[in-house]
Order: sequence, then C-alpha cells, then structure tokens
Amino acid sequence: MGGMNYTAVESTKMATAEIFGKTLVELGEKDPRVVALTADLAKSTKIGDFMKRFPERFFNVGIAEQNLFGVAAGMAKAGLIPFASTFSVFASMRATDQLHTDICYQNVNVKIIGTHGGTSFGQAGSTHHAIEDIAMVRSLVNLKVIVPADGYETANAVRAAYETEGPVYIRINRGFDQTVYTNEHYGFQLGKGVLMAEGDDVAIIANGSCVFQAVQAARALEHDYGIHARVINLHTIKPIDREIILQAVEETRRIITVEDHTVIGGLGTAVGEVILDSGHACAFKKLGLNDHFSAIGFHEDLMSINGIDTENIVKTAIDMIRHAHVVEIDADGRATRALKFDDRDFEAEIDWTDEV
Amino acid sequence: MGKKITKNDLYAARIFFNAALPLLRVVVESRQDLRRLFKGKSFVFQVTAPCVRVKGGKMATYFVVEDGKFTVKVEEIHPNPDIELAFLSLKDFILFFSGRGKPLPEIHGAAKHPLLFAALLRSLLVMANLLQATEAPKRLQDQVLLVKLYFYLLPAGISQLNKAGHEKIHQWALASPDRAYAFAVTGYPALNSYVRVKEGNSKAGRGEYPRCKPFLTLRFDSPLHALDILMGKGDMIDYIARQYLTVEGAPEFAAIIGDYLFTVGDYAKGLYLDWKETE
Amino acid sequence: MALSKAEWIELEHKASELRQLALDTCNWAGSAHMGGSLSSADFLTLLYHKYLNFDPKNCTDPKRDRCIVSKGHIGVILAALFAQLGLVDKEDLKTFNLTGSKLGMHLDSNKVKGLEASTGSLGHGSALALGDALAARVQNNPHKTWVLLGDGECDEGSVWEAAMATAHYKVTDLITVVDRNKAMIDGPTEDVLALEPFADKWRAFGFEVIEVDGHHMKKLSEAMEQAMAAKEKPVCIILDTIKGEGISFMAGDYKWHYGAMDSEKYEKATQDLKDYEAKRIARAEQEG
Repeated sequence: MGGMNYTAVESTKMATAEIFGKTLVELGEKDPRVVALTADLAKSTKIGDFMKRFPERFFNVGIAEQNLFGVAAGMAKAGLIPFASTFSVFASMRATDQLHTDICYQNVNVKIIGTHGGTSFGQAGSTHHAIEDIAMVRSLVNLKVIVPADGYETANAVRAAYETEGPVYIRINRGFDQTVYTNEHYGFQLGKGVLMAEGDDVAIIANGSCVFQAVQAARALEHDYGIHARVINLHTIKPIDREIILQAVEETRRIITVEDHTVIGGLGTAVGEVILDSGHACAFKKLGLNDHFSAIGFHEDLMSINGIDTENIVKTAIDMIRHAHVVEIDADGRATRALKFDDRDFEAEIDWTDEV
Repeated sequence: MGKKITKNDLYAARIFFNAALPLLRVVVESRQDLRRLFKGKSFVFQVTAPCVRVKGGKMATYFVVEDGKFTVKVEEIHPNPDIELAFLSLKDFILFFSGRGKPLPEIHGAAKHPLLFAALLRSLLVMANLLQATEAPKRLQDQVLLVKLYFYLLPAGISQLNKAGHEKIHQWALASPDRAYAFAVTGYPALNSYVRVKEGNSKAGRGEYPRCKPFLTLRFDSPLHALDILMGKGDMIDYIARQYLTVEGAPEFAAIIGDYLFTVGDYAKGLYLDWKETE
Repeated sequence: MALSKAEWIELEHKASELRQLALDTCNWAGSAHMGGSLSSADFLTLLYHKYLNFDPKNCTDPKRDRCIVSKGHIGVILAALFAQLGLVDKEDLKTFNLTGSKLGMHLDSNKVKGLEASTGSLGHGSALALGDALAARVQNNPHKTWVLLGDGECDEGSVWEAAMATAHYKVTDLITVVDRNKAMIDGPTEDVLALEPFADKWRAFGFEVIEVDGHHMKKLSEAMEQAMAAKEKPVCIILDTIKGEGISFMAGDYKWHYGAMDSEKYEKATQDLKDYEAKRIARAEQEG
C-alpha cells in the first residue's frame, strides 16, 4: 500500500471541480466579449484556464480588489462581459464600495466569481473564511446571488450568469466538494430552487456545500427513523424562489435552513423573510455560524464543528419533529392550535459489530 | 516461546483473528474448486491461541459449516470443534499468519477428518498465497477476489484497531463525527466495503454503505488499479491524475484513511516484530 | 493643433457660459459643490468643446472618446455642461437636487445621457477608465479615455491601484487629469493629508507628468495635445487650479468645497463671473 500520503500542495493538482474554469473557456470560445479578470488569484480561482486560452482577454490587476471591480465595471460599460474572480471574502468585503457603486448602481454586466466561500478554505482561518459574504451581497440592489451546490451546478450558474444581463455574484468553494449531481442536465433555472428529495415530515433548505449534507441527512433520517425529509437546493438566494419555500411551509410545517455562513443575513434569513412575509407559521431553525468566527481546520471538520453537517441536520430534524408545536389550518380555513408531539424513541441503537 | 505479549501483538492478533481469518469464508465461497471440497459437509473448525488478557484465556475464531455453507464467529470460543488449530502462543499465531515464521500449532481432529483437514489447509494456503503475494494475480477473477479480501480486511482492521484501543486510531475515532469511509471499484458492486466511525465507535461493513453517501469514497476504475495501490505498486497522486482512482470527498481525509490502511497492512505483515522474534 | 486666437476667445465664452450656468443651477438648488466645479471648468470646456471625439447627438457611438469624471461631486457643473451640449434640458437644471429630479449633486449615468459613469464615491474613476481603455484594446476600438480626478481624491488607495495597473499595461490611450486645487472639505490638502511631492508620486508610478496652469486655455490645450500624442508612458496632467476660480468670495477658500447660495451672494457671484470673463478675454486678446 504505497503512496497513500500526499501533501496539501500536491492536492491542488487533483481538484475535480475545475468545471468553472472550463465553462468560462467554453463561453470565451463562443463569445469574444467574454473577458476574465483576477487579483493575483488566477490559479487559485481556476480562472487560469481562461488565461491560457485567451491571454489577450485576461487581466490580472495584482492584489488590488478595488481596481479589479472598477476595471471590470469600465469594461462592461464598454460592452464586454467581464468575469472577475477572487476569494469570496475579498469579493464581498474588500471592495464592497466598488461592487455597490461601480457595478450594482450602474447595473453593469459584471459577473463576480467568489471562490473559497464559507469555511471551505478552512485551514486559512477567519481572514480567508467568507462567512458574511452572502449577507453583504444579498443586500445590494440589482445583484443576483447564486450559491451552487457542486461543480455541475457551478457550470450551470456561470452559463446562467452569462445569459442574464446585469451583475451576478456566484459563490463557489475550493473545488473538493462532494458532487450532488451526476451531470449538468437537471433543469437548472436561475431563481428556482431544486427539489432534491421528496418528503412531508420536515423540509431542509440548503445551498452550496450544505446541499450534499442535507441530501445525506434526508437519507439517514429515512434509513434510521423512517422520517421523510424534503430537501430543497435553494441555489439562488436572490431572486429568491418564494413558491418552493411557501409550498414547503404549507406541506411540512417544519423548516430547517443550512448554510456555510453566519445565520445573520444569509440563506436562513432570506428564507425566514419569505415565511414571515407570507403570514404562515411553521417551526423554523437556522443552521449556520451563530455570530462567531469559525475554528481553523479541514472544511469537513469545520462543518461538523459549526453544526452544518449531516449529523447535526439529522439531530435538528429529530428534535424539531419531537418538539414542534404546529399550528394547523382546518378544512374551514380556521387556525387550530394543534400540539403535535412525536413520542417515538429516536435514540438509534447502532450495532457496532464488524461484519465478518 | 513465552515472551511477553506486547500491545502490538494484541493489535496484530485482533486483526488476524477478527478481520483476516474470517476471510476464509469469502475465499471458499468465491472459488468453485474449494467450494466443491466442502459440499454437503457439516463441521466446526476453530483456530485458537492463548491470551490471558481475554475472556476464556484464549483468542479464537471459528467457522460453523453446515451443508457446505460457512458462518463465522469471532471473539467466541467453541467448546468442541471438530478440527482445531491450537497455537501454543499468541506470538506463534502471529508469526504463522504474517508469514514471518512457521511455528506449527497443535492440530486436533485431523486424524478423524483427514479429507476435511486437507481441504481446510488447502483453503488456508490459497488465502495466504493471495494475501502474501507481492504481484497482482494475472487472472481477472483472482484480482477481483484479492481486491475483495483487501477491501474486507483493511476497514475491518481499522475498526479492530480502534476497538483494541490503538492509540492513534482510537483517538481519531473518538474525535470523529458520524462518518463512513468506503472503498469501491466501479462496475464491481460486490466488492464495496466501508468503515463507519462515530465518537469512538466503529463498524466495518460490506456492501454499499446503507445510511447515506459515505463521507469519503476511494473509488478505483478497475480491480488491477485497486491492487496497484493496495499492494504499493502505484502512486496515489499519479493514479488520481490518470483517473484510475477518484476520491469522492475531501482529499485530506483520503490521506488520513490511507495512513490507517498502511497501519493495518503493516500489522498484517508483522512489520512491527523484532527480527529476532522472526527467527 | 494649437489654439487660434478666435478659437481661444470662443472657448473663453463657452467656459464663462458654463460657469454661469453652474452658478444659476447652484442658485436654483440653494447650494452646490461650486469650488471644485469652478476649478475644473476650463478643462471640461476644452475637453468637451474641442478635444473629445464625442457627438452629443450620437452619444452611445462605440467609437467615441470617453471622459470619466471621477470627482463625481461636481455634478452641478456637469449638469450645466450637459445642458450646454444639449444632453440635459436646461429647464431640468432648475430641479437640481430637488425631490424627483433626475439631476442631483452626484449624477446618475443611467439617467443622464452621455454621462459615462455614476461617480461620487471617490477613487473609483481611474479603474473605470482603465477598464474602458483595456476594453478598447480587446475590441480593437482605439479611442481616448480621459479621467478627471480631484487632488484630495488621490488620498484613496484605489487611485494608486489603478495607476499601477495603467502603467503596467502601458495604457497610453488613458489620460489622467488631476484638478490640483489644493483644497478638500476639511482644509488645504497639505494640512489634511499632504500630497506633495505630488508630481513625483505619479512619476514614481510610471507616468509622464505634465504640470500646467489649469486656468490658462492656451497652455492647457498644449498640455492636452502633448498628452494625446504620448506613446511611451501613460500621462498624468496636473492642473494647477484655484478652488472657486472666477468668484471672488469663493476663490481659494476651501470652505467653498460645498456651500449655500442666497440672492445677495448670487448677485455678487454673477457680477464676479462677468468681470472674470472680461479679464480672461483680455488675456486671450493679448496673448493669442
């Protein structure tokens, strides 16, 4: 058993999710207006493929994010379609004024690719964790915000961004996430959530790397307890898919949101706003970082520590099903307060004997 | 012999008794020539070695064969097996099964069941030849069988080391959330295996992990490429680049589980043993 | 082509008209950023009425030259300028800053035809201009891109990010112009955050620097022509100007970065601008 060990540096050679880079090249082949920019993160953000293929349409502005966005806005005004790529933490906060004024206010056709979203660049620590980026960019007028679940969805998001006039922010991860889809053809539509699993006991709404966790949680809930969880991949945070959220509220009455982000201002808040606005009641729990910075470490471990992994989603769902007070509407449309407790024993007996 | 039993001896013994020996069933079931030898036969075959640290004073694995069908029992002692290989010491047992020495056990019941004993010896020899081979077998069906043996042995070995309190592996298991590490070869679902770890507990399992998609899957594109890596012939990075191996999950964790596979493999080869002990 | 005497005098009239229109707008609005508007008036006049390849009737022509006014707070004189060019209805100037107006102190490029960028947050224009100039390269669409900066604005790091990139990419079709009126909201630039040695800073960033009297039409036109001919390095023109130039009680007073107007002040300012125009024309007659 040789060669099972390798360093983190070598691991960058093995990134499976370079789909973003490839998709951008594909758009570049198709449309000479597509240009790419970065701020000294060409390789890290996988925009390097484009650099190799179209050196004359690639611009590295150095470590200068304000300039990155300003130049991109200037190019868009001149009729180009710039894709500007840097880490999410910098894309959302290092040049927010340029994002606001040059890109969103002027409503120009700039596409921002924020990589290493959430805690996906775990070892780099909080200077490089983007746990507030969605809260920042979601509030910006004209900006559409997409948080794809995997590489295939990223390809779809990049194409949708290209096809949609105006500014778009796409938050992707480091490129080592588990894939959720097996190909790109599952009917991606900007602004429309994707139903990943059917179920009426509880609804788990997730985006980004948390979609994988949610899908696995639904399987585990079914396998361990016979609980049927609905899973919604809400890849587009803005514009938000009100319909799919409200249908879940109506049919499951229990909503859990899961995001690799602070629970202030991100996916959970966005979903909560839709529910609050609708006047419907449901049990509601946001999973994410609770107003604290994350520990340092491997992304998968951080997801566990921060309670956005499969295990904690399962626990949260059980807890909600056990304790939720559910207001129900009777046939005459009257609200009747029905306290629905589930007194099943959810302590799973796990047989730890090795199979021989 | 009578040498002091070390922690490493116990770890190795657990791997052999609880993870490796049970594979005899898999070997017999997979090979028509061996299966034929046990057709219609019913008996109990046991392997034991003395160990004061366990209940009953010895470690044991036994096979209940009913009408040619094997079932395996580990961590239990059968009171009166039909055939038994009783090693005189735990060390002898380890030397014998790691291939590092040939201290013969006491053999009970061979005279009474000479044909069955011969069939068992032959089966054990087939298994030993497979597991101790340094080159991959030529025939695809042998490759498939060997991958299966490795895929069943290694996760079980990790789980056994955890349960035995192996410092590094048990610490890792204690800190672990509920995660499954799986091993697969595309197109050969019968080879799937996994080890599930959660807060100090672990379970080695066979087949597809039933609960959800595993936390990490090492997926090979062919039995031969799996053997290249498992037998130390191929470079993992290179194989990933060539897409012979796909890591489904974060690569850092592939490195960790890879390290533990090594640990199990090293015990199975008796590498921890002092050269003097292998004389 | 150097300015002929007639052209010079013609431009002096245009500049005077622009200053008066800005003053009128300030008066209608009640207050405005007059100081920095007046210091830029001569440059804007020369650029828009002589050098910029820009047809107000076809202001989206991709081949046009662009001017990004990075010191976006001079919306009052830009609105006046665009009215002068026929891109803004002069009646609309009367609504400047008022509720529902399409004109406010920082103009919106999505509402004002011909305005290249919405600016106001300082330090943005250089990057926008660089983006346009680089796009010109990608699209093989050569044209000049001008960017007008305030001097206080150069406190912003983003100005220097863009400067570095402009020199790195050798963008000589981008001409940077700094209105060095030496004053900002809180006081003289050298008191608030010293800029000097200012020209040396630009040189150190890889620019050819042309320092020129920003209120001398002829010298300014020569500087602009020199900048437009540059091929080796990008050019930065530093306009030596006076904040509030042309109105006696504003000139040189940093407090007139932004100020309120009443009828008395308006009368006085109008008279001042008339006197100033006479002085400027006399100089053109004499030196032209």
